[in-house]
Amino acid sequence: MRPTTAPARKKRQWTGQNSNMILGPAMILPAVVALALFQYLPLITAVLNSLQSFSPFDQSSTGWVGLGNYFEIFADPAFRYALLNTFLYIVLMLVMTIPLALALAVLLDRRLPGTTWARNAAIGALAASEAVTALIWNQMYEPSSGLFNAILHAVSLPTQPFLTGDSQALVSIVVMTVWKDVGLPLLIFLAGLQAIPRELHEAAQLDGANDWQIFRKITLPQLRPSLVVALFIMTITATRMFTPILIMTQGGPQGATTNLALYSYLQGFEFQSQGTASASVVCMLAVLGIVTLVQSYVLREKQEK
Amino acid sequence: MAMQKDLKNQGKVSRRAVLAGMAGAALTGAIASRGFVGSASAQGSYKLDLGGYAGPELSSEPVTLRFMRQDFTPDVNALLESAYAEFKAAYPNISIVEEKVPYGDLQKKLLVYIASGDAPDIMMGRTDFTDAYHAGSVALPVQDYLSADYINDIPANLRAAASSGGNLYSVPWETSVMMLYFNRDLFEKVKMQTPPEVTGLDGGWSDEELVANLIEMNAKLKEAGDNQSWALAAAGQGNGGPGANYSQLESIWIRSQGDPNAAKDSAAYKTLMGISDDGFTVSGHIDTPEAIKGMRFYQSLFAKGLTPLGPVPNQYPGGLAATYFGGLNFTNRFRVPGKEPPFKWGVSLPPKGNIVFNGNGSDAPLVWSKSQHPAEAVALLSYLCNDKNRLAFHKTWGSMPSRTSLREQMSVFTTEQPFKMAQALSDASYSVPRSPGYFDYFNAMNPAVKDIALGADPAKVLPDTAAKIDRLLAKYRR
Repeated sequence: MRPTTAPARKKRQWTGQNSNMILGPAMILPAVVALALFQYLPLITAVLNSLQSFSPFDQSSTGWVGLGNYFEIFADPAFRYALLNTFLYIVLMLVMTIPLALALAVLLDRRLPGTTWARNAAIGALAASEAVTALIWNQMYEPSSGLFNAILHAVSLPTQPFLTGDSQALVSIVVMTVWKDVGLPLLIFLAGLQAIPRELHEAAQLDGANDWQIFRKITLPQLRPSLVVALFIMTITATRMFTPILIMTQGGPQGATTNLALYSYLQGFEFQSQGTASASVVCMLAVLGIVTLVQSYVLREKQEK
Repeated sequence: MAMQKDLKNQGKVSRRAVLAGMAGAALTGAIASRGFVGSASAQGSYKLDLGGYAGPELSSEPVTLRFMRQDFTPDVNALLESAYAEFKAAYPNISIVEEKVPYGDLQKKLLVYIASGDAPDIMMGRTDFTDAYHAGSVALPVQDYLSADYINDIPANLRAAASSGGNLYSVPWETSVMMLYFNRDLFEKVKMQTPPEVTGLDGGWSDEELVANLIEMNAKLKEAGDNQSWALAAAGQGNGGPGANYSQLESIWIRSQGDPNAAKDSAAYKTLMGISDDGFTVSGHIDTPEAIKGMRFYQSLFAKGLTPLGPVPNQYPGGLAATYFGGLNFTNRFRVPGKEPPFKWGVSLPPKGNIVFNGNGSDAPLVWSKSQHPAEAVALLSYLCNDKNRLAFHKTWGSMPSRTSLREQMSVFTTEQPFKMAQALSDASYSVPRSPGYFDYFNAMNPAVKDIALGADPAKVLPDTAAKIDRLLAKYRR
């Protein structure tokens, strides 16, 4: 008798392929919806608004004006000044923040006495409210009773118009922002430094390399990914700088500290012009895109070499 | 000519007052001829004193009224809340929901609400923006609901400031006067003559005299070893410091250089008006030689170190300044037993350019044009503005009443120098430059004034700002 064998039951096996058809999209749906609602929809709205004119009373659209709002803002000297200032903020922020953060990170990585205190101080400044920080620094910069001028006066140096002089105000705001925001790139660099294998430094020391050579030839190249992230983040921070400017100078004196973010706000909320405000925002995004693309290109080229 | 009669009765008829009276009378005539004024016969049939309300009887259906206003001091807030309770007791079907916002954000918030299409029934506006409320159909014309007596009780110049196109768009809540306060002790300390304490518009310091006296004060304070006190306190209006509030304060320096009696096409007349008749052009008005001269006086206060370059809270009330530009509320505050300042004080006129200038831009609640309950909203507003509630408010808050009969009920306006002077200033006051785009005008002038205070050349800043405002106002023509 031939043994009877039960017909093999076809087992449904978990391959992941079928379920991925539903589960995959379901998993990313919340993120897609959130992005669409809070990122892309406002962006598209801004672009569409920049091509329309609006009633200054109830902000209802009064029709399409093509590129009229763009022509209008480019004809406004205040906009051109704000555009230039936006680039100045980016350059100054990067020039002051990145080297300072790198230097502080290298020092903190050496675990010298007081390292923990210094790291906490940097994080504390980063965690502080932007508005509160601006108000405190505003007091310290105050021309007649501020701390900085009191110190200058005490050591018989001439007092300075930190926020009231058109050549100093922008730099003064950047200094405050650097103080507040240096903690972020510092933490990025610190994480990058701690990820570098110690053996690399030890091998270089055995080969007779000095500290500067080790920093240039080993530490800095190994920190490239951290540097790229820090540069992008600080570029974005500098481009959208708003609160300190509004609180400390309101864009003055004579527009010397107005950037595109503040200009857009003024157009929208002080001068009831949603069309030009949106056009200015689109220009600000374009600036950010151009700077980021340039950075990506420059850093990628270096990597290929 | 009813207003002219009122003014004559007060014995203070100036050419400006007559002109203002004529404007007010014309407005009253326009309103009356259109049959807008509510029937006075309706008054007295309501469940409580609704002040000047003369509209239909209030609904008995459940109604919720939303009221957006600034946050006052706790004692004033308490007054308003007790008034709501009284109103609610009389009309239990009407609920009142308040929203308090920071004073500086009121007008922005109002515009955002209008744009949203879901605005509160009553919002605290300003007479400064009356033409915008009209042009944008933001506010309900309220004369339909008010008695003629009530409307005529509002001084003509203030009534004109709250009206546009023949309609009354808001109910002036108070009126603004700007006076020169001084610290008698500091003047005595340096042996200087105090500013003249006058009751009318004559006899105060001119621009030149003010600057010269402040320079002398500054030098003598330093000679006496007082390095803490300033000749002039930092402005306390708006956000404080220079460029704080053009409507109420800094416009004095420009518009006082104008002349109401000059030819209409003259720079002197245009400087006073601050804008073209159609409300769309400021070039040739804020950048005239007269305006530049006025701002040079203003600039000298900062350039010569007579006043701080930034805001300094409570400098004058704290006794650290010899003079200060403030409203009548300081007089009222300083008179409260236990709240007197730590020095003897006095009050004089603001500096005279060609004229003594006072701007009457002031808070004025309005009813949203799309309110679902216009009659109830105007009734609540009128109730808050009845004699009892207004007198309690002015006594507590200290501001100047916006109705003639209220001033007559307050004896201080006939017996005490600061009040008599405030009355004279108010009677001769001017509205802000009339434009549907005054919000833009104001927001462009404040930073320009600040720039001038910080050293920018008025001869460059004023024309640049005029060109900027012209550009900004262009959108209101569309």
